[in-house]
Parts: sequence; structure tokens; C-alpha cells
Amino acid sequence: MSVQCDDRELRNVLQAVQAQAPNAIEQIEALLGNCPQDPRLHFLRGSVLIGLGRHIEAHGALSQAVALAPDYDIARFQLGFFELTSGEAGNALQTWKALDRLPETDPLPKFVHGLTALIHDDFEACIQLLREGIALNAENEPLNRDMELVIDRCLPLIAPDAPEMVSETSLILGQLGARPGDASN
Amino acid sequence: MARIGLRLVERPNAVEASLWRRLRSDADLSCREHLFTLYVPFARAIAARERRRRPANGMERCDFEQLAFGGLLEAIDRYDPLQGAPFLAYAKHRIRGAVADGAARSSEASAQHHYRAKLEAERLSSLRAGQDPSRDALSELSELAALLAIGLLAEHAQQASVAETVSYERHEWRELTLNVVEEIELLPKAERSVMQHHYLNAVPFAQIAALLGLSKGRISQLHRAALTRLRERLRRFD
Repeated sequence: MSVQCDDRELRNVLQAVQAQAPNAIEQIEALLGNCPQDPRLHFLRGSVLIGLGRHIEAHGALSQAVALAPDYDIARFQLGFFELTSGEAGNALQTWKALDRLPETDPLPKFVHGLTALIHDDFEACIQLLREGIALNAENEPLNRDMELVIDRCLPLIAPDAPEMVSETSLILGQLGARPGDASN
Repeated sequence: MARIGLRLVERPNAVEASLWRRLRSDADLSCREHLFTLYVPFARAIAARERRRRPANGMERCDFEQLAFGGLLEAIDRYDPLQGAPFLAYAKHRIRGAVADGAARSSEASAQHHYRAKLEAERLSSLRAGQDPSRDALSELSELAALLAIGLLAEHAQQASVAETVSYERHEWRELTLNVVEEIELLPKAERSVMQHHYLNAVPFAQIAALLGLSKGRISQLHRAALTRLRERLRRFD
């Protein structure tokens, strides 16, 4: 049993998820049966479970991805973000601590600092830092959209006349193309 | 930590799922309290609906709510969030059940209370009917109290097994109790029947009357006569 599944198989199941196939979660779990140590599959499973509203299982899957690959930075960031949106701000900050090692050119520390500013109600700092992270992030468009959503919610609090843009949070998929341990996921 | 920023990103379903997860996996009791607080309005609404559906039976709104909150706590402790059923549907059934069970117990206790009060009212009425109006009020009151006491003694003697008398009862009290039992057995038949049916079996006068083929008024007279006779006989043991 290999640690990681074949890239082709991963791409196939990614396509099933993007196409919103009704048995997408079953396909992921079938692959996991062959490659239970592949953190990418756990991360993908967690992302799909979030979309299905199965939050308890989602947290378990994301946590497993990070446990298997502590340097899987995007998975760690998304686990922390999930914890933040689940009312676990303290756990989110703890989860994100390992991302402090990343260089200034990496968008993830900017996002972490921006969300930390949000936790402390420093909305201007939050908006600035998130925008800086968005500018550095050319590879992960869904993540940028998530951060833009947060910005949109902060804007009315610093400029009451600014229009509030509302849109759906996108599924986290672009991050899965990278392998754990890559410098920029 | 400040809260406004957090509220911008927190998702209620995810927050609740987090509470369930941490309650079950980490035994975090603060999550139990959070969940209870979250669902208090739901339990309160069920309590209000159940109260409207039932006669009060002496129960107030707070009584229904207390039952509902007990049902809510039980639901929180037993619910498995991974089973798929939404908590609201699961809890609704348990809360309604807790209210129904509590209301039934209260109804039974209330019914017993009313029944007991009825018996006591019959005894008092029976004894007061036979009072001598020429006697002074204090003497009448004294006799009434004595006859009621004899009646209570008879009830105690009839219903408790003599062998089960507890150690704190004095010897003289146990002797008196035994004497009452023996003296009841020596009463005239009709008086004996009234005393045994009323104090041993808690049968109201109306039903004793039907049982013995007598009027309720006659049963009342027999009741007073029996207690008066017992009082006289028990004086021999002073």
C-alpha cells in the first residue's frame, strides 16, 4: 500500500468533485482505502465534507491531513480557517502557528495575520493584510475569493457607505494540485 | 477576545457542530452548557405548547419549563451528532416526552391529594355533625381534636404492619397502636366495617354506604360513634 495515490487517480477524483458528482465522497473514500496515508486525499475529503455540511467529519479529515503532513501548509491554513469559522478562534491561532516559518513572499502568513487582526476587531489591518496576501497569491484563486469575502464583510465596518458585496464561498480545490511540503501551495 | 470580527466569519451550523464535537470527543462540559443555552428557547416553546394542550392540574408555566429543560439536558447527553438526525427533531421528541411524563406524575399526585382531602373533609364533617350544641366551644374543640386523633391513630394502626414499627417509636406508642387495632375488632359490626373500610382501605363514606346498603348520613353517624367508643375504651389503658 503506497503512501500517496497515483496523481492520475487524484486528478480523476478532483474532476468528479468539480463536476459535483453525487458519489464524489465515495470515490475519495475508495481511494483512501488504497492510500490511507495520503494527506491530499484527507484534505480533499475534508473540503467536500464541509460543502456537504458534515462539519464534525470535515474537521477530522482536515486534522488528519495535517497530522500526516505537518508541513502541508495549505491544509493547515484551511484547518485553522475552518476552526475560526466554527467558533474556535483560539484553536485556529494555535493551528496557524507553524505557518510563521514561511517567508514574507508567501501569501499564507499574510492571510493568517489578517485574520488575526479580524479576531481583534482591527478591520483596517485585516483588510490591508488580506489584500497583500491576495496580491501574492497567483496560484490559488478559490482561496483569494474566500479572503475577498472576508474583506467584503469588513468594509462596511470601516466605511458605512461602501456597498457590501455578497457571494457564495467557493470550494477549496486549487490548493490540492500542490504536494505537501511545497514552499508555496 | 473581541467578538464583532469573529461574528463576521462564524457560521452557525459549523459553530454548533464544533460544540457537539468537543463535547463528545473532549468531554468539554462548557460546550454542554453552550448547547443548553442555545436550545433553551426551543424547549421553552415546547413547554408552552404542551401547557396549552393540557389542564393545569396545579402546574404552573415554570413547572412545564422545568420539565422541558430536563428533557433538553437528557437529549443533549444522549444525542449522537454523527447519526445524521438533526438535533431539533431528536430533542423535540424527548422534551415532549419529559413534559408528558412529568405532567402525568403531577396529575396522579394531584388526584391523590384531592382524594385524601376529600376523606379528611368527610371525617371532620361526620364528627362535627354529632357535636352537642349545649357544650362550650373549648370542650367541643377538645373532643373533636381527640376524636380526629383517634382516627389518625386508627389509620396508622390499620395501614402499618405492627412488625414494621421503627425503633424510634416508644413502647407506649406501640402498645397504644396495638390496643386500637384490638378495640376496632371489638366494635359492633357496622362500626367495625366503617372503621376498617375508611381507615384501612381509604374508601369514602359514599362508597361505604353503597357497600353496606346504608345512607351516607348513617355511615357518618357510625363513624362518629365508633371513634367515641374507641376513645372511651382507650381511656381504660391510661
